Amino acid sequence: MTRQAAFAPALAGSAFLLAGWSLLAAATADSQLIAGPVEVIAWIADNPGLIGRALAVTLRNAAAGFALGNLAAILLAAVALAWPRSLNLISGLALVVFCLPLIATGPVLRVLMGPGEGPQIALAALAVYYTTLIPLLTGLRAMPAAWLDLVHSYGRGRLAELVHVRARAALPYLFAGLQIAAPAAFLGAMVGEFTGAERGMGVLTIRFMRAMDATALWAIAALAAAVSMAAYAAIGALARHLSHDRPPVILAPPRPVAGSRAGKALDGAVLILAVLAGWWGAMELLGLDPFFAKRPWDVVAALAWAPDAAATRAALIRATGETALFLLPGYLAGLALGAGLATLLTLRPGLALPIMPVAVALRSIPIVTTAPLIVLFLGRGATGTITLVAVMVFFPTLVACLHGLRQAPGQILDLFRTYAAGSLRQMIHVRIPAMLPALFAAARMSVPAAILAVTVVEWLTTGRGLGSLMALSASTSNYNLLWSAVVVVTVISALCHAAVALLERRVLRVYAPEQLRR
Amino acid sequence: MPADPRARAEITCTGLGKVFAGGIRAVAPLDLTLAAGHTTALIGPSGCGKSTLLRLIAGLEEPTQGQVRLAGLTPAEQRRRAAISIAFQDPSLLPWLTVRGNVALARKLARQAPDPALVDGLIGLVGLGGFADTRPAALSGGMRQRAAMARALVTEPEILLLDEPFGAVDELTRQQLARDLPPLWQPRGTTAVLVTHSIHEAAMLADRIIVLSPRPARIVADIAVPLERPRGPALADDPAFRQILADASAALALGDAGSPPLAAQ
Repeated sequence: MTRQAAFAPALAGSAFLLAGWSLLAAATADSQLIAGPVEVIAWIADNPGLIGRALAVTLRNAAAGFALGNLAAILLAAVALAWPRSLNLISGLALVVFCLPLIATGPVLRVLMGPGEGPQIALAALAVYYTTLIPLLTGLRAMPAAWLDLVHSYGRGRLAELVHVRARAALPYLFAGLQIAAPAAFLGAMVGEFTGAERGMGVLTIRFMRAMDATALWAIAALAAAVSMAAYAAIGALARHLSHDRPPVILAPPRPVAGSRAGKALDGAVLILAVLAGWWGAMELLGLDPFFAKRPWDVVAALAWAPDAAATRAALIRATGETALFLLPGYLAGLALGAGLATLLTLRPGLALPIMPVAVALRSIPIVTTAPLIVLFLGRGATGTITLVAVMVFFPTLVACLHGLRQAPGQILDLFRTYAAGSLRQMIHVRIPAMLPALFAAARMSVPAAILAVTVVEWLTTGRGLGSLMALSASTSNYNLLWSAVVVVTVISALCHAAVALLERRVLRVYAPEQLRR
Repeated sequence: MPADPRARAEITCTGLGKVFAGGIRAVAPLDLTLAAGHTTALIGPSGCGKSTLLRLIAGLEEPTQGQVRLAGLTPAEQRRRAAISIAFQDPSLLPWLTVRGNVALARKLARQAPDPALVDGLIGLVGLGGFADTRPAALSGGMRQRAAMARALVTEPEILLLDEPFGAVDELTRQQLARDLPPLWQPRGTTAVLVTHSIHEAAMLADRIIVLSPRPARIVADIAVPLERPRGPALADDPAFRQILADASAALALGDAGSPPLAAQ
């Protein structure tokens, strides 16, 4: 791809976005809910010092978190490669940490690390390491066995494998992960700032949301989007410069080390033990005050036999129900819309010209930072929350499904054309089955993102559900409830992720068995 | 390349057998000695275990029974000496390296000193002279096979293992490669094992043809090919050549019918 060709979709996307944004602002000028690009630029020009300082702080924290999180991912991938037996434990632990609700980890880290920049950096790191680790684990193994046999046939071992084959083969996967990580780091830093930092874009967001200042909120969202898109584009350009292969869009699930049923049960038990030991060990090693740094058995006690255990359980169950009510429709709507639009765009390729650049541009935006805007626009009720969850799931699904639809084997399509089968029949019998692996990969990776979206909206605005419960318990110093809520959200997230992954493996077994091969 | 008298390794398989996980027996226990400096073709129906036998000889699979010795050493020891080269059915070129980079990589992996002259010489000999700086994606199937052959030969191996290396190319290229490539290893005294399902290719290239039964691989026939080299298209009219084709064909049919083996096991 030439330099011009590479930048054309990004430019076109930005132009479409700006045009759509201006039209929407003009159409809803009376409501004063949407500030158009001109007002936003004027606002930024009027407040250069304020926004510049905030942006610099958030950028610094996001960059530090990006570096630390990706370093951790690369180190973990190296350990999993050097010691394959540890793969299940590493990917399991990584998933559990990824499923920790950022907005609860935020207040907990705030309490643990104090008012400085620690929590923002830690949250940015937590937001990126998983999206880098998983592609990397896949990429380090995504190669024909013959490439490794070639290395072995000259009597060379794992180090030569890594140097001559695996590291280079993993490069496009690493870049794909880094690209997703760039907006995620910015999002993590902003969520960290929501939890009570002194400076930064997140702090300004909270302030302007309380003041109902729509123009300022749009300016912040636009800047966050612009920074993320720039980082996304820069990493993409670097990837094209360093690696000739196109970065893969769709990623197979990390393949567990094959083993018996008993072995898998043992792995599960080891994972749970490792999580509990890590949790307890970190608290003890850091000598943290048990008043706010709860240990595993504190949570068990709070849920099982403490005097107010029944009340805690009831609060959690009610909040979980409220969250599920927003989460499930939003998640399913996002998947259905993403897959549906991808199908439509494949059937009517002409439509892709205006829609695809917008989708590519929006994919790079930390969508949760626009939560206050969506809620401002659609209200604090169910519509706003469900929409946000759907939007969060929609874009990765659309991009993955479009990629999947293109994976339909050309020869089979030719076979259908030979029998004069129309594009609808090709779609139903060839393209959609070919798309399923991509759809399920997107569905799996979207689970924690959807949960993050719903809890952030609940926390910032709706005052209901697990997100609100966590915010409330943090502000009232009810740490037993806060930690219990963190455990509940993590377990739900991990279970949903595991359920989708199980479904995905069943689909892959039929539609893409090669992805399950070692 | 000058003949190198040291480069002569006999291959001995003793009671060699392989059962894969799940109980699939790929290779029945077999005894086999392949003379040093000769080219032996293993032929048999698809899925009969001939590639597994080759991978056992290379040490890329561990036998479940018996052993392989290459000039008295284990495959692992010979690989550490960089004495083995293998060319796969799929050319398996690394897509991010040019033809020259792919060929030179083998010397790097074999811990041999860089030899740009040898690398470029071999690229020229396999007919890719103008394509040394081209990446595999821009090459045809036959050109990739040639590049893979240059890579297999660049370490000047004592043992050359060829797993259907001309399987993915058209008939004309196949004949060209079968004619052009053996002179690159045979004068050096390299011991070569060729896996193929083409009787014609086996008779053109090999000094000896071993016919294997359907899985698990057992030896059905052991046919000598005492024909002069170089072997060209004119051989097609040679009665001895045609007799060899007929013998191999009959042995394949016999093996397929599940008849008892004709030759030593």
